[in-house]
Amino acid sequence: MSRQNRQGRSSIRGPQSALTDFLASHNISANQIRLDADARRRAAQNNPGQVDPNQQDDGSSALPAAPTDTPDEIPAGPAQAGPSRTRRSAAETNTHDDKRKKEQQKVIDKIKASKKFQKRKRNADDSEDEDDLARAIFQQRSAPLPGQIENCANCGTRFTVTPYSRSAPDGGGLLCTPCGKKLNQDDDLPKKKKKPVPAGGPIGRRRQLQSNILDGTYQPGSKSLTTLCIETLAKNIDLAGDLGDLPWPVVDKIARKLSKHRLLNTATLDLFLQPIAEEVYIYDGAKLSADDYIRVFQTVPNLKKLKIRNAIHFKDEVMDYLISRHIDLEEFYLHGANLLASSKWHEFLNAKGQSLRSLRVYWTDKHFGNDILASLPTTCPSLNRLKVSHNQEVSGDGVKELAKLKHLRHLSLDLREHVHSDIYVSVLSEIGHALETFALSRVPDLDNTVLDAIHNKCRSLEKLRITDSELMTDEGFVRLFNGWENKGLLFLDLQKCRQLESSKPRENPDNIGLCSNGFRALMAHSGKSLRHLNIHACRHISAEAFEEVFGFEQGKIYPELQKMEISFCEEVTDFIVGCIFRSCPNLRELNVFGCMKVRDVRVPRGRILVGVPNAVGMMIEGEDDDD
Amino acid sequence: MAANRDEPSKYVTLVSNDGFEFVLLREATVVSPTIKAMLRDDRQWREATTGRFLEKVAEYFQYWYKNRDKLDVPDMDIPVEICLELLVAADYLGLDMCSSRTA
Repeated sequence: MSRQNRQGRSSIRGPQSALTDFLASHNISANQIRLDADARRRAAQNNPGQVDPNQQDDGSSALPAAPTDTPDEIPAGPAQAGPSRTRRSAAETNTHDDKRKKEQQKVIDKIKASKKFQKRKRNADDSEDEDDLARAIFQQRSAPLPGQIENCANCGTRFTVTPYSRSAPDGGGLLCTPCGKKLNQDDDLPKKKKKPVPAGGPIGRRRQLQSNILDGTYQPGSKSLTTLCIETLAKNIDLAGDLGDLPWPVVDKIARKLSKHRLLNTATLDLFLQPIAEEVYIYDGAKLSADDYIRVFQTVPNLKKLKIRNAIHFKDEVMDYLISRHIDLEEFYLHGANLLASSKWHEFLNAKGQSLRSLRVYWTDKHFGNDILASLPTTCPSLNRLKVSHNQEVSGDGVKELAKLKHLRHLSLDLREHVHSDIYVSVLSEIGHALETFALSRVPDLDNTVLDAIHNKCRSLEKLRITDSELMTDEGFVRLFNGWENKGLLFLDLQKCRQLESSKPRENPDNIGLCSNGFRALMAHSGKSLRHLNIHACRHISAEAFEEVFGFEQGKIYPELQKMEISFCEEVTDFIVGCIFRSCPNLRELNVFGCMKVRDVRVPRGRILVGVPNAVGMMIEGEDDDD
Repeated sequence: MAANRDEPSKYVTLVSNDGFEFVLLREATVVSPTIKAMLRDDRQWREATTGRFLEKVAEYFQYWYKNRDKLDVPDMDIPVEICLELLVAADYLGLDMCSSRTA
């Protein structure tokens, strides 16, 4: 045995660990330590209670053989007795056997008492005999140690045990390397056949759920069959050659779904170009080239309504082609077409403006400016909807010209340049009486004069949006809504109309922004008809105002309200949220981000509450029926 | 497809134009406004839907009925090859909006 050890010392030379290096530098041999330990264990196995004389020859085991009280150093079964056993006489073996059995019993008893055993017994409570279990643990522990020579349980060849040696499937001994490899291969085969676990799991699904809620596409219950079909179709869109004669709303839904997955490209565009169609809505044109846009006009000769988002390659040449065709657009919606020159816009409006009723231009930086707005009254006499959004060129001079658009019904502006309130007042005094939509986004300088102009002029307004104003006051809003001869609004967005004073954020001596009285006045005027209300960050509305407005007990009912956004209204409490749900029977979604006083609300069935500041997430879906 | 006219029955029989019959819970079929109208008006309609698609439609009715009150519903499996035809059928049956609250 000692020779084996010495051989091992000289022949086994693997990569050395840092610890081994360190020990070597202090004249300590790691290998020697390991061999000593091996020898001690082996001695304990072969000859419990008696020191093998060979070990002393080796000069390595200064310590006597370790007593067999720790489970790690337990006497082995007959299979592990090793070659040295054969040298002993039969009588010796018998006494040893008795002794060993006793020792074994002792260790098994100890295992039974151990915590690990108790735990495993609890886990595997399927009627396994206690003794069997203890014996299994015992066998496992007494497996041959690495470095030892062993007979393969399968083919019987002698081999050196390594930490990677596999145990035989039936549990009786170890396998040599070739047999182990074979077994590994056999094991791998069924593993590959296993179905891949679907991505997500409970957490992934919950995340998807939250995502849907924020997208506004969440529905309790199952999805509609159409949605399921469209989702399947979108996943396999490359297989579809033709959508056939599906009805328009379904085709549109497919187009939206594809665009959401960014799958609309040259190939899939053809599915949506039906020669008899009058409208083409491209929700994501980022992957389309100028030729693709020209193809739209070639394939759909009766085009009346065109909508293109992310129309990056809607360039001059495309506009040239459109001008050259007999296509008279009625609705034109262009998003992100920055490669289109200002001169082409003029050419287009001059040539095709007569028929245009709706013009919406989003996200342009340079080429859609004041001169184009100034030309609209002459080139597009029948324009009734105009939206200019995220525009960096248009300023007050251009807006002034809109007063001449006598047929305008819907006006939405989101400009970057400063436009004075007086200009809006003059526009409203000219065309305000007919306006149905008036939306001004991000207008920090807008003041009460505009509100007064709306009050005095507008009579058919349905949708009103004024956001980010830092000058309008509560009094201004009260004047707007009190005695306003306009019928109730359907859509109102006054988000971020609030005082911005970082040095004294709590005080608001001038009542800047929409505060309690303005809120009461607006709900008194439009509450019955409002479907969509956004008072995001109007943080000076008091709790009393909310409780009064949504006082269910006082018979305040708002039957039309479907979506409400009251995020960052600091005074909103659990009670107010409850009141809102009670007094708005058709409210589907309520946003309460940043309302830190909302803690634990019971949400009625089928309603959605988004943004509750708790660990569960951003939404509570009602579990109990309110009525 | 034809709707049986024994009003008190809890079940509705859908018959495809190639002779397959599917017996379904009445409550499960009302998700389709079209079928709902057929049942209410006591009319009989026959529509060119073959058993293969109607089987899937029937499966969907049961799936909808089973999950109508659940929050987190696993998607139903739609075979790719009948997807387009099923879409036409779904459109005819008015299954385009989620009507978990119509019932």
